[in-house]
Amino acid sequence: MATPVVFGEALALGLASGPACIASCGPVLVPSLLTEHTGLRYHARYLSVFLGARLLGYLLFAVVAWELGALVSLPPAPRVLMMGAVNVLLAGVLIWYAWSARSLCGRSCAGEKLVNIEGTKNRRAAGPAALGLLTGLSLCPPFVAAGVRAAEQGSVAQALLFFFFFFIGTSVWFMPFISFGCIARNEAVITVARMAMALIALYYASLGIAMLIGRKAYGY
Amino acid sequence: MATNAQSPRLARPEPRGIGWSLLLTLPIAVWSLLMLFRPGMDTNPKSRIAAALTALFMTALFFMMMRTGNTYRWRRIFFVSVGVLFPVGFIYNIVSMRGTMGIPVEEMIAGRTPFCFMPIPLLILPAALTRTLVFPGSIVPGGGASGAGMAAMVGMWLAMTLVLGKGWCSYACFFGGIEEGVAAIPNRARIHKIDPRWRYGPWAVLLAMVLLSLALFEPAYCMWLCPFKAVSEYIAARNLIGLIQNAIFVLLFAGLVIVLPFLTKKRTQCSFFCPFGAFQSIFNKISAFEVKIDKERCKPCLACQNACPNLSLSQESIARGETLMSCMKCGACVDTCPRQAVVWHIKGTEIAWKPERARLMFLYGAWAIAVMFGGTIIYGGVATILHFIA
Repeated sequence: MATPVVFGEALALGLASGPACIASCGPVLVPSLLTEHTGLRYHARYLSVFLGARLLGYLLFAVVAWELGALVSLPPAPRVLMMGAVNVLLAGVLIWYAWSARSLCGRSCAGEKLVNIEGTKNRRAAGPAALGLLTGLSLCPPFVAAGVRAAEQGSVAQALLFFFFFFIGTSVWFMPFISFGCIARNEAVITVARMAMALIALYYASLGIAMLIGRKAYGY
Repeated sequence: MATNAQSPRLARPEPRGIGWSLLLTLPIAVWSLLMLFRPGMDTNPKSRIAAALTALFMTALFFMMMRTGNTYRWRRIFFVSVGVLFPVGFIYNIVSMRGTMGIPVEEMIAGRTPFCFMPIPLLILPAALTRTLVFPGSIVPGGGASGAGMAAMVGMWLAMTLVLGKGWCSYACFFGGIEEGVAAIPNRARIHKIDPRWRYGPWAVLLAMVLLSLALFEPAYCMWLCPFKAVSEYIAARNLIGLIQNAIFVLLFAGLVIVLPFLTKKRTQCSFFCPFGAFQSIFNKISAFEVKIDKERCKPCLACQNACPNLSLSQESIARGETLMSCMKCGACVDTCPRQAVVWHIKGTEIAWKPERARLMFLYGAWAIAVMFGGTIIYGGVATILHFIA
């Protein structure tokens, strides 16, 4: 039977794991934020969508794994396949993101003024949601640690609650990303962010493809 | 951006007298002897010959800089020599020690790879957040990344960077010489039109590699993107990912260090890719030395822009009288300007205030570092060649 102490533990675990979570999500989150509007409110909204989708990813994984009876010890082969697929999808979304940002500075970047970004409506929710969901599904070490404790709970509902509190703890660490809204956007910032996204996508794609065709990740 | 890259057309300033040039060269001659015959250097005759040849080479180049007033041509001879001879000495040492250029990941984790400055920017965030050096190498004998040793090396780099700024990339880096040599081969560029947005490439690589290094806890640039792995030590490919990594190294080297420099006559790896170069650009802001354009003398003929091997001049920056922050202080633009409007400059002084004195002050610092790093590399390469032929 779960007690407030257990959920406090989930929160503490999340808070302690936060740096690992931002390190793990940084390659996806930082460049995608840099291609967005300036403004704290806008960034807060972007992060809310990203984190909400990430929570959904956590919970989906927890439910499926619980139902399969494998929350703690997902067998290696399906785990590698799942990670491979997540990496390839993440690469695809990042490439789409970088591509869709191509017209962002078409009007105002020619001058050196701040950019009034246009044409982002379509990806305002879809982009951060897709990225959040996929990063939520990746099996980073803190997530696995939370999975171990969640598996000890009496029911799937309690396990989900455990994950929820864990998520709240980790999310505190993402709050500083809102300050990216203060960074001025110009052609340089957006181009650098787009190119970085493409490179990171290539990394995820290489890793994902290698996993999908059944090879073990190099060295570990 | 249209470029018409040619070898810098030299403006031929008045040559100095031989005696005065020799006098100005004397400190560098003494420094070269001190560096190349310092205690601890190999004392066998072939190594002594290599040291003497290197000291003579470095001193002679500096003398020619003093005598002719040109910087770029003589610096390029040094820089290309470093670029070509670095793999010679390095590969020989690696193969002697390990029997192969391939390094297994266990060796990396154990820190049995030599120090390289490239991952310095990638170390900062993981070190600040976790007090861990994610560097797969060592600067202490026998392996292991000593925190104090690494701090000393980073401290040395910082001191040199404060003097040179991004001049590091023209006087201290042991990687850029190969592409500068390749870029010097054709008489004219085949590709003239280069989208100026490619200039942002190094910043993108830096951002991506810092973030991935933090996420993966490994120096992502060394593991995935370093073109110079192709001519130093590659990753021992024992599975598909290792093969992909090595294929990336070879393709990047072929594309950015051989093919594109030949077609564009630019240092394309340095200009469009190198994350360390982007990092060094930041220090151009605090270095005392810079290249400026005297707007009163300048008739914007764009000869400097065409000569710049690094796309560090644009029409806008020329109009502002300055280079972009990516300027590597190689001297090509200064030597090319037919009106001597592009000048070496010390921050805080008037633009036209004794540019030759500014050049001398910069060159003493830069060449001292060049002798210390590049000279040692040239010595290693020459000693290896002598070992094989004599």
